[in-house]
Order: sequence, then C-alpha cells, then structure tokens
Amino acid sequence: PLTPMTPMTPVTPASESSGIVPQLQNIVSTVNLACKLDLKNIALHARNAEYNPKRFAAVIMRIREPRTTALIFSSGKMVCTGAKSEEQSRLAARKYARVVQKLGFPAKFLDFKIQNMVGSCDVRFPIRLEGLVLTHQQFSRDVEVRVTTAYEPELFPGLIYRMVKPRIVLLIFVSGKVVLTGAKERSEIYEAFENIYPILKGFKKAS
Amino acid sequence: SVVFFFSSLIGAGKTPTLGGGFHANLGKESRAQTLQNGKRQIHHLGNQLQLNQHCLDTAFNFFKMAVSKHLTRGRKMTHVIAACLYLVCRTEGTPHMLLDLSDLLQVNVYVLGKTFLLLARELCINAPAIDPCLYIPRFAHMLEFGDKNHEVSMTALRLLQRMKRDWMHTGRRPSGLCGAALLVAARMHDFRRTVKEVIRVVKVCESTLRKRLTEFEDTPTSQLTIDEFMKIDLEEECDPPSFTAGQKKLKIQQLEKALSKKLEDFEGEISSYQDEIEIELENSRPKAKGVFANFTKDDSIEDNTSSILGEEEAEDEELEAAANHLNKDFCNELHEKDRVKKNEDGECKNGNEALVRPPALESLLGPLPTAASLGITESIKECISTKDQEPGENTGDGELDLSGIDDSEIDRYILNETEAQIKAELWMKENADYLKEQKEKEARIAKEKELGIYKEHKPKKSAKKREPIQASTAGEAIEKMLEQKKISSKINYNVLRDLNSKGSNTPKKEDDSTDDSTNTKKLSRRKSIASRNIANPVNSVGKR
Repeated sequence: PLTPMTPMTPVTPASESSGIVPQLQNIVSTVNLACKLDLKNIALHARNAEYNPKRFAAVIMRIREPRTTALIFSSGKMVCTGAKSEEQSRLAARKYARVVQKLGFPAKFLDFKIQNMVGSCDVRFPIRLEGLVLTHQQFSRDVEVRVTTAYEPELFPGLIYRMVKPRIVLLIFVSGKVVLTGAKERSEIYEAFENIYPILKGFKKAS
Repeated sequence: SVVFFFSSLIGAGKTPTLGGGFHANLGKESRAQTLQNGKRQIHHLGNQLQLNQHCLDTAFNFFKMAVSKHLTRGRKMTHVIAACLYLVCRTEGTPHMLLDLSDLLQVNVYVLGKTFLLLARELCINAPAIDPCLYIPRFAHMLEFGDKNHEVSMTALRLLQRMKRDWMHTGRRPSGLCGAALLVAARMHDFRRTVKEVIRVVKVCESTLRKRLTEFEDTPTSQLTIDEFMKIDLEEECDPPSFTAGQKKLKIQQLEKALSKKLEDFEGEISSYQDEIEIELENSRPKAKGVFANFTKDDSIEDNTSSILGEEEAEDEELEAAANHLNKDFCNELHEKDRVKKNEDGECKNGNEALVRPPALESLLGPLPTAASLGITESIKECISTKDQEPGENTGDGELDLSGIDDSEIDRYILNETEAQIKAELWMKENADYLKEQKEKEARIAKEKELGIYKEHKPKKSAKKREPIQASTAGEAIEKMLEQKKISSKINYNVLRDLNSKGSNTPKKEDDSTDDSTNTKKLSRRKSIASRNIANPVNSVGKR
C-alpha cells in the first residue's frame, strides 16, 4: 500500500536548480538546396553516397567531420541528422551543399531550420516510476488534461512523460537517466529538465 | 425536411442485415453498423479470453467512446477492439497479457501496444500499472503443481514481493519476473521444472529468465536458506540493477580518466627530463670543442660537467626566463580573450602574479616579439570576437556560405574518373532490376503517348469518367446526378422538385413507382433489399 500523497502539481519551485546540464545528443535539421538534383549522378560521383531507388527515393550521404548523415532528395530538399550542436548541424549541412555544388549542381542554402533536438542526462539516483505515473495521472484527471504520462513495462522499460510547457517528451528510466526530445531550441530542453527535476527528486529511492 | 441518407445507405449496403441491427434514428445508420460489428468482434474475442459479461460490456462502452471520438478512422478495427479489451483487462485486473491478444490476432504486440496507449490517452483512462503478482496463479496453474499448487504460489508471491522491494521489477516485463519467481519456488518445493518448461508458459526468452535469476542472486536475500527466507524479511533494499550497472560504468570511466591523466603527468615529467638531458648534451658538445680542447678527455669531461653545470644553471635560468616571457605573452592573449568573453578577472591576476619574474633574456636580446609589436592585436581580437557573433544570419539571396569549409576536405568526398566508372558498374549491377522496371515503364508511357491514350497519372483507383449532365432545370440536374451516384432509389423526387419553390415539409413516399421508373441503371440486389427495409422508418420520419 502506497503512502497517500497529495497530487503534486508539476510547477517548479523557485528554489535550487539541479546543477545538472543535459547534453545534446542529436540534432535533425532540414534545408532547401533550391535546385532539382539528379540522384543517380550524385550517387555515382560521390565517395560517401549510397542510393537504393527501390528501397528509398533519396541519396544517403555521410561526412566524417562533423559526424553526420544526410538524406538528399531529388527535389533539392535535404535532411541532416547526427550533429551534436546547432552550429555543427549547420556546418555539416553547408558541407553537404558544397559537395553537391562541386558535383555540378547550382545548390543554394535556403531555409535552414532545426526540426528536432534530443538531449540526455543522469540524475544519479533511482526513480520510482510507478509512483510517478500514479500521481501524475491523478493530476491530469483533476485538470481534465490528457494523460501526460505512460508507463507500460510490457512495451517499454521507461516512463513516457509528455510535458505541456515546453512541449517536450521525456523518457524517464529507473536508473535515473532521462532522455528529452522534441525540442526546437536548446533552451526548451534545459527548461524541461529544470521542470522535471524537482518532480523526480520527489520519487527518489530512499537509500 | 428531406434527409439524404447517403452515408447510411452505403453502410447498409456492405453488410446485409435483415431485420436486426438497426435503429429508428436513420441518420446514424453507418454508426450503428460500426457499433454492431464492434460488439460482435468484442464478444468473439472476449470469449476466447474467457472474460465475463461485465468486462465485455465495459469493453463495448470503451469502444463506443472510441468511435464517437473518431479513433477508429484510419485504424484496423481489430486493433481498436483488442485495445479496448486490453484496457478492460487492465482496469479490472484480470491476468491477461497484451501478448495473449497478440497471439490470438497474430499481430505484432508493439502495434497493439501503440493503439492501446493512444486509446488510453484519448479516453483519459488511467490504466493502473501491472502488478506481476496477478499473473502468478495463472502461470502456476499452467505449470501443474498438483496439490502443492497453493504452496508454490504462495512462495512465488513472497519471492516476487522481495524482488519488488529490491527494485528489480521497475521497467521489466512482469512475466519475466513471474517466471523467475516460479522457477525458484518450484525448486524450493522439490519440483524439477526446467527453464524450458517455464519459458514456454511465461513467454519470455531464456536469456531474460537467466538474467532475472542472476540479478536475484546478487541480492542479499538469495543467501538465506529456505526456512530463513520464509520467516525473515531483510530491511535493506537494493538498487535497481540498471542503476548499479550505470554507477559501475561511471566509476570505470572515472578510473580510466584518472589513469590517463596520471600517464600524461608521468609522460610530461619524463619528457621534461628528456629535454633537460638533451639540452645538456647539446651544450656539452660544442663547449668541449672550443674551450676544453686542450685537456685530456677524462679530465675535460669532469671539468666539462662541472663547468657545464655551472654555466648550465645560468643557461637554465635564461631558458626558464624565456619560457616565462613567452608564457606571459600567451597569458596576455588569454586575458584578452577573457575580457572579451567577460569572464572572471581573478584568474588573470593570479596568473600574472605567478609568472612575474624579471626576464633576464629580455635584457639580453631586447624586447621579445609580442602581439602588439607584431601588429596583430587587432586581428587576434577580431578572431576571438567572431566566435561570439550570431553565426546563423541568412544571407539575403540564400547563397551558400563557404566560411569554415575546407575545400580539400570536400574534394576528398568526390570520386575521380576511374573510381566513378567502377562505382557506376557496381551500381548498375546492383540495381539492374530497378533500371529494367524503369525502362519498361518509360516504354509503356511512350507507347501510350503515341496512341494518344496516355494518362498523366495512373493511380490504383481508376477515376470514373462521367459524362457531363445535361438537364434543363436544377431539379432535373440533381435527379440525374443522384442517378449517377446510384442512390436514386431512395429519393423522393417530388420533394426535390418542390425544393426550389420552398415546398412542403412532408415527404411523401412513392417508393415503388419511382423505383421502377427512375432506375434505368443496374440496381444491385442489396439496394433493393435495403429499400424494402427502410420503407417503414421513412414513413415514420414523414409522420413527424
């Protein structure tokens, strides 16, 4: 039997900050090269490109520095993934555009936009996920908001917490590791973590 | 008013129901069909799971809610049904796993899980977390312990509670834990259940079961004897295994870091010794030639070393001084950087004090080159400050900004002639099938173009080509349109004609006559059946 707890509202107390900074692990960005591309040509003249038209209608290109992967489509649009910072993502995208330019296409660099950022960190204490999902389901029922937490050990070992503001999805694991995703800006990740940290402390395993 | 029953009639057409399964409220025919269908499937599936009537009714309520929120759109009905049933199982606490449903339907359990999570979220229903203790009676029964079933179950439950207290169950599939608990309980009561038998019942992998057993072995409770275990409850709670593994990893990483740092320090010391020795050797050789050439070798060496050392010290000082001066310059640059970035000044001051030593070398050689004297302070400042600038500014015309891109690096990513040829050959071979398909497609398009029947798009659904409707009045046009859409048999055309003139509200049904007269197109059997069925309700609508 759980000790009765008043439902905790997920509002950050203005007191201490966690002192832990989430590390960015992956950035997904898109850019428009603004010219039609001949994918076969690109694939056959670039060392680091693969193209399987049967499987997927884009060229998959990789560069070593920054270590990233790009999907280049025949419309001229490009997706760049794998960078660890916004600057690196932009630099990598520019390098890919430069490769395409050198292969003879009039590539530009329009509308570079970061679409998703993933961060992770470790709170260094075990977290009682069953308790967390219980009280947060109660909270959402009171305010008639959609259920913001899902913990299904049969499907996934972590708890999926959908924060409303900022709009971030957090994967919380019993070992204390937290993954934050869905951000368009770095500050959203930091803010989300600062919001969740006091809640997680409330479910720390008493050692 | 006339109500057009388009959607309802199409729905009715699909599954011919004679008599049963429809409502007086005709506008929701299709909805009724869906619910009816859903109810049937729920009962069918629920009976296979041996759920009682109450559960089935609750599941049907969930389904009704789902349909009203349009959650069935774009999803397989069977998935939604399964999700409703599983939701009931969770809220009622029955020992059914999602895996059971997946087995029955032969659908991937994660696909069902996705639908289930969505359903729970949209319906705002809190499914309480699964307690592995729920599964014990079911699995114990399947393992056939005979008379001792109850005892083994009790022991397994106790083991499971101990595992829960040792934080082994968070994030793990409950069936895996049950399997481990039952295996140990069986052995404790002298039943020789093998791992294979247990996993067949519990539906987990062998390695998972072994892992759970190993984790349990690591807890202090595993050291107790059987009797002790049944009586004693250890106070201490263990950390979850993933946490301890994570901590171990961290420690190893820290140790490695410390080790490598120590190695670096040692290497630094060794290299500094090396440097000193080399300097000495260098100094000793030319000096020996010049000054001590007259002396015998042995004496000279001795004298060399002493005098060398004597001079060495002075040289040392000079070298140290030179090094310090250069360091001071470097420190100054660093300080400039710090000032630009507005960092703490404390460090600067400390740094300066530590390195203040009157440079003897400077007096000898005159002022050594500093950034200022070389005239590059400005450029250094620029270089430092460009780091702080907003690097995301878009050039107005979208031209690719090439700063920071090394052209030679990019060139390395491009193949030369021979390499490109080889790659082209390989690629052609790999993708021969695809290329063949493309050629055939192009040939087909070209041929069709020649024959003049080429269509730009050939989607799977062929678009019906309709002749343009020619009618004199709007009413007639509507009639003909309805004919084409094959819904004509239900429409009362008299009312339609009256619409323009804002006619009466009572629809007079002239079914049979209108049917025969207007239906020149082929009328399928199902429509006629449906029309017969609808006869009464339409009249009731008319009576309103």
